[in-house]
Amino acid sequence: MDLHILDHRLRVTCISKSGLQHYTHPLIKLIFLRNRTRCKFFSLTETPENYTVVLDEEGFKELHPSEHLQVEGSTWLPLNVVSNGNASSSSQAVGVTKIAKSVIAPLAEQHVSVFMLSTYQTDFILVREKDLSVVVETLVEEFNIFREEGGESVPVHSQDSCNGLQRNGREVPHATVHPVLIPENHFCVMSLDPDTLPAIATTLIDVLFYSNSPKEGASVDQDMECIKFFSFSLIDGYVSLVMDTDAQRQFPADLLFTSSSGELWRMVRIGGQPLGFDECGIVAQISQPLADSDISAYYISTFSFDHALVPEEDITSVMEMLQTQRKEMSS
Amino acid sequence: MSSGYKPDILWSPHHADRYVICDTELSLYRIGPSGSSETKAGALQLSEETAATLLAINSDTPFMKCVAWYPKHEPECLLAVGHTNGRVVLTSLGQSHNSKSKDLAGKEFVPKHARQCNTLAWNPVDSNWLAAGLDKHRADFSVLIWDISSKFSPEAVPAEKVRLSGDADSGLLVTKPLYELGQNDACLSLCWLPRDHQKLLLAGMHRNLAIFDLRNTSQKTFVNTKAIQGVTVDPHFQDRVASYFEGQVAIWDLRKFEKPVFTLNEQPKPLTKVAWCPTRMGLLATLTRDSNIIRLYDMQHTPMPFGDEVEPTIMERGVQPCSESIISSFAWHPSAQNRMVVVSPSRVMNDFTLFERISLAWSSTTSLMWACGRHLYECAEDSGQAAEAEKDIATKMRERAQSRYGHDTVQVWRNHVLAGGDDPQLRSLWYTLHFMKQYTENVEQKQQSNKQSLIYSGIKNIVKSSSGTTETRRCWSGSDRQTDVPRFHSEERSLALQLCGWISQGPDTDVEPFLKSLEQEGEWERAAAVALFNLDIRRAIQILNKGASSEKGDLNLNVVAMALSGYTDEKNSLWREMCSSLRLQLKKPYLCIMFAFLTSEPGAYDGVLYESRVAVRDRVAFACMFLNDAQLPRYIDKLTNEMKEAGNLEGILLTGLTKDGVDLMESYVDRTGDVQTASFCMLKGSPGEVLKDPRVQCWIENYRNLLDAWRFWHKRAEFDIHRSKLDPSSKPLAQVFVSCNFCGKSISYSCSAMPHQGRGFSQYGVSGSPTKSKVTSCPGCRKPLPRCALCLMNMGTPVSSCPGTGKADEKADLTRDKKLAQFNNWFTWCHNCRHGGHAGHMLSWFRDHSECPVSACTCKCMQLDTTGNLVPSDSV
Repeated sequence: MDLHILDHRLRVTCISKSGLQHYTHPLIKLIFLRNRTRCKFFSLTETPENYTVVLDEEGFKELHPSEHLQVEGSTWLPLNVVSNGNASSSSQAVGVTKIAKSVIAPLAEQHVSVFMLSTYQTDFILVREKDLSVVVETLVEEFNIFREEGGESVPVHSQDSCNGLQRNGREVPHATVHPVLIPENHFCVMSLDPDTLPAIATTLIDVLFYSNSPKEGASVDQDMECIKFFSFSLIDGYVSLVMDTDAQRQFPADLLFTSSSGELWRMVRIGGQPLGFDECGIVAQISQPLADSDISAYYISTFSFDHALVPEEDITSVMEMLQTQRKEMSS
Repeated sequence: MSSGYKPDILWSPHHADRYVICDTELSLYRIGPSGSSETKAGALQLSEETAATLLAINSDTPFMKCVAWYPKHEPECLLAVGHTNGRVVLTSLGQSHNSKSKDLAGKEFVPKHARQCNTLAWNPVDSNWLAAGLDKHRADFSVLIWDISSKFSPEAVPAEKVRLSGDADSGLLVTKPLYELGQNDACLSLCWLPRDHQKLLLAGMHRNLAIFDLRNTSQKTFVNTKAIQGVTVDPHFQDRVASYFEGQVAIWDLRKFEKPVFTLNEQPKPLTKVAWCPTRMGLLATLTRDSNIIRLYDMQHTPMPFGDEVEPTIMERGVQPCSESIISSFAWHPSAQNRMVVVSPSRVMNDFTLFERISLAWSSTTSLMWACGRHLYECAEDSGQAAEAEKDIATKMRERAQSRYGHDTVQVWRNHVLAGGDDPQLRSLWYTLHFMKQYTENVEQKQQSNKQSLIYSGIKNIVKSSSGTTETRRCWSGSDRQTDVPRFHSEERSLALQLCGWISQGPDTDVEPFLKSLEQEGEWERAAAVALFNLDIRRAIQILNKGASSEKGDLNLNVVAMALSGYTDEKNSLWREMCSSLRLQLKKPYLCIMFAFLTSEPGAYDGVLYESRVAVRDRVAFACMFLNDAQLPRYIDKLTNEMKEAGNLEGILLTGLTKDGVDLMESYVDRTGDVQTASFCMLKGSPGEVLKDPRVQCWIENYRNLLDAWRFWHKRAEFDIHRSKLDPSSKPLAQVFVSCNFCGKSISYSCSAMPHQGRGFSQYGVSGSPTKSKVTSCPGCRKPLPRCALCLMNMGTPVSSCPGTGKADEKADLTRDKKLAQFNNWFTWCHNCRHGGHAGHMLSWFRDHSECPVSACTCKCMQLDTTGNLVPSDSV
């Protein structure tokens, strides 16, 4: 397996719901006018609480600081796991599950905080730049690590100077079990030919920026069970969309790509209160049992909470699993 | 949306006259000559000669991303279209009614996870296999190989699962690919390897080019590179692959896949298409975005690298098929040489043939060859009609070399006859050299060596040294009237007249022998003029009469004679007046100058001296007779400079073989390229300075090279001998010595002639002594010399023990063509295996064999000799 440290330097930011109107211009520019910005990595996720925007430094320049914009202080680097073809992957499980054992668990053990971002195309593991040496030390056994610089992949070897793992400061007991929320709505993960983005522009703007306006047919009691969640990312020219079936119906069917089986996903939201960025092991908590039962999953971290997507047919077993896990923890 | 799609063009693999333009729809065109009856009114003009007719349009596939044409003959217009959502649809164009096409058209191949289909490629051998390269998906493969003959998937998707795809009629839907390759990796381009149809070359994300073998998909060879936007295999050289990225093209050799053989990168804009020319070896065309220029890289002469350092040479050029508009795409014509059709974004098409670079080569024998594309043209001089156009100087020199031009050292003037005898300048030159030689020989006999140096330095220098001129006024012979024409005499002037050929050797200054020879050659006018200048008007008239009455004689000469006889020296006579005005109408220059002479004032003979049609030697002789000491050098200087500038060989008379002469010859060679005449002429000049002149050495070397290039090796050897006789310093030193195996000394006489030997040569000499057989032993230690590998006799040549002969003897020997040692007896040996023998034996052996005659030796001696198989083209 190869681990690529991608050539992006990312910032994780959050725009409050009320402050969105101040940022519509840069966001539209980043989404639709690809030729006008040098931003190569952009992800926008709407949750009921706020909008999480992950973007590279070029894109970050577009966002003017204000009271509505919260910025996580550090620079994050995306990692990408590539099976170099040899593993012809008999396992059905995909996404986070696949890398749970090899990447997420070891990093959790080394107390490296990770920020996950799954897309239609691949899974990105974001780590803080300052943790990079620890990451390399931890994973160098398992992976061929490459750092991409200016289009070239340069092999990375663990530096000898970094002897003795520089632990991430405080020993945090990873016994904290966060509450989970499993909303009723079904999600789909989709993609789109970037050239056809203009064709869905109005719908996309509507869904992203006017979703708070009441929609006809959306009854109040349903809102209690369902959760507003919409994610758009445009990374290296690839578009990825995660939306619930309600939102999906607003888009023209022939433009969005999805799997031919039309699989749908259920969400597991982790955290009862904002999780913060320092705690580690949260992703591992969820992905480990999923990997054990060979259930595939998407995982999208946001500013406040983490969200895992699992196939709808597996949701009952996931619920059971999480309950047993909880019992074990508390006992 | 259509703005995003630029039309691409695709040529039919089997019909050289059909192609498809694809943007949002597929349009099939037929290309044909524009004037033909077939083309209808709707035909689009593609070039001056060709036009395209639209045959069919297929607009069923609006979201197409890539297209590939079915490679088999039947069904002919079947196309695979890759869509933006990753589906691959088979569709047909035109009126193809056969059943196979109907079965296949409309078939759809659906990947598990929708994403853009980047590329499609049919397997060239197993034409049921269609490889599709898709964008990446986190959980899916990016290369799917579909079997188009497979029925719809047995494990059909349950109806309720088709919610999103919305395709209910799954009758033609195939969802199970034959092979899946390349997990979480996008495939941007792919091609099947022609050498092994089970192998597939993929260009994908993560910056890899990878070769998969379908028989074992877990194994792959891959190389990390940026150049992954597209790959294409050279149809003429199946191990050569071009791949590109942005403005960079990398050329790979699949046998040495670790790194590109070389990279072409100088284009600032990203490339949109890269294609090998199917009709021309190693020609790659590239197109960048928004450009109107197609760049061509010619790797025609690329030697495949054996070491890493070898940087192949690539000829690069750009072509602009249509001047105004930018090019969206292009396609090479599959069979017509170097032809392509380009299409602009607005679907304007243009048929275009690249002009091939021409390479040409001159042969050493005046023929010219040039290659253009697959054609080879030869242009040879037309030997049949030599009279019409003047032959090339190289042809002339070749012919002259064959007729031994320049080699007549006894009757030097005859060389101009050997040269063909039709060039007045050469004639003048060789006569000049002849007179010079004649004079020197006479002087030599009389032991008057002080003049010898002067004679080759030309009339210019002779006249300069003139002193003691006397002036005489003579009567017209045959009349007792006193002339007022002064005539000048001096020793130098008469020497000059000798060189001009007017008078012969000795104190006798009679021109009569010269007049006689002119009469014999039928040069009546010239003879008459010479007679007149010698103040013998009666003789002149007599000559003219004779001329008129001779065979092919000109009767006008009688008229001239009559006019001449009316000569009067009265200044204001009618005769004078009429002659001086009418003489200009005379066509013959010599007749003209005769009257000019008679009507001029003494000392003012411009009408004679500057009549350029008159031979230089005659004008000079005239000047020597009638110009005084002040006028003469001025006139000679002026004429010399004129001759030097013009490179007129007649001027050699004036300059002689001096530095001035070399200057003159230089401008002659510049004008004509005749290094042959220059070499022979300058060799005659004995003064060392002239031969040492680098220009002269250059002419001689060039002439020798020329003879070698013509394979006139014997002529060249002859020339070298000739040269060494005239210029002893050019004699090469011995470079090869045969040394005795026992004592190590050279067996040649020069070595044994060393004084310390202290032994007379008569002992080993050839002069009939009983020790004649000793030539086969070393003169130093008397041990036997090696044996010939063929006759097994000890070798040895008489010359090897012959004492040096005097210079005179040597000369005599060569002229008598008597050789001391026949070439057949010479030592020869192979530099590689060191076996050898008598030259004659070796020659006859290698006529039939290529291997060494020594039985255990496998040396291919003859093949090691690059010139050994060439035959001299001059006769021995």
